[in-house]
Amino acid sequence: MIRSSNPELDLTISRVIRAPRSLVWSAWTDPASLEQWWIPAPARCKVVEMELRPGGSFITRMSENGGDFEPHLNACFLDIADGERIVFTNALVGGWRPAEQPFMTAIITLKDHSDGTDYTAYVMHKNNADRNMHAEMGFYDGWGTVVEQLANLVEQRVG
Amino acid sequence: MEQYSRQLDGIFQALADPTRRAVLARLGTGPASISDLAKPFDMALPSFMKHIRFLEGSGLIRTRKEGRVRTCVIQEGQLAAVEAWLSQQRALWEGRTDRLEQFVVTAQKKGEAQ
Repeated sequence: MIRSSNPELDLTISRVIRAPRSLVWSAWTDPASLEQWWIPAPARCKVVEMELRPGGSFITRMSENGGDFEPHLNACFLDIADGERIVFTNALVGGWRPAEQPFMTAIITLKDHSDGTDYTAYVMHKNNADRNMHAEMGFYDGWGTVVEQLANLVEQRVG
Repeated sequence: MEQYSRQLDGIFQALADPTRRAVLARLGTGPASISDLAKPFDMALPSFMKHIRFLEGSGLIRTRKEGRVRTCVIQEGQLAAVEAWLSQQRALWEGRTDRLEQFVVTAQKKGEAQ
């Protein structure tokens, strides 16, 4: 695929996960599994819709501090290549309907690797002025994530 | 961290409204009086003032009174917090990928143990 990248708006997260590709794929595509890792604890995640086909709806909700589940992500799958690729955007909601507040498209790629799975999340964002308004993601779990990562790291070192 | 989070909360709330965003966009080009800022909006002055106070409360703008004219100025320092947005998105996806990895590796170990 040819695409132009923009370092100010795009992110690439790559990781070799020491597990077979089929396992990574099922962790992503099985709603009960996705709920376990999509949002950092102690916030809880609920997959409301996950229709794994182009145009399919991808809706997650989150609950903080044991409260009601609130909107988290309302997106649309653009491409599903079984075991290999997931593309979704919140520029659309399920059924290709234009979304109110679009700001990103994510391309998740899984490839076989000698140590397991070569996992890449490539995330493209909308322009600077608009993206600031979107507290939907990032703002909620961005900082929580940092703290959690730190806690995990410390626990691992201690343990 | 919590204080920073509250600060961002206020900023995002301030940015969540089209009138306030338009005011900020206008102030991005330079200071302006409240009456000039209010002109493009079909809104009673007290309602408009609520938006100004909200922006002031979030720290995105400050106001000063000279004689009978109150002038608004954008506070660029506050926007720096929002500039950290992309690094937050990165942290989000890094964290998400960490958790996926942890989940998969744990699931694999469980599978092997059975």
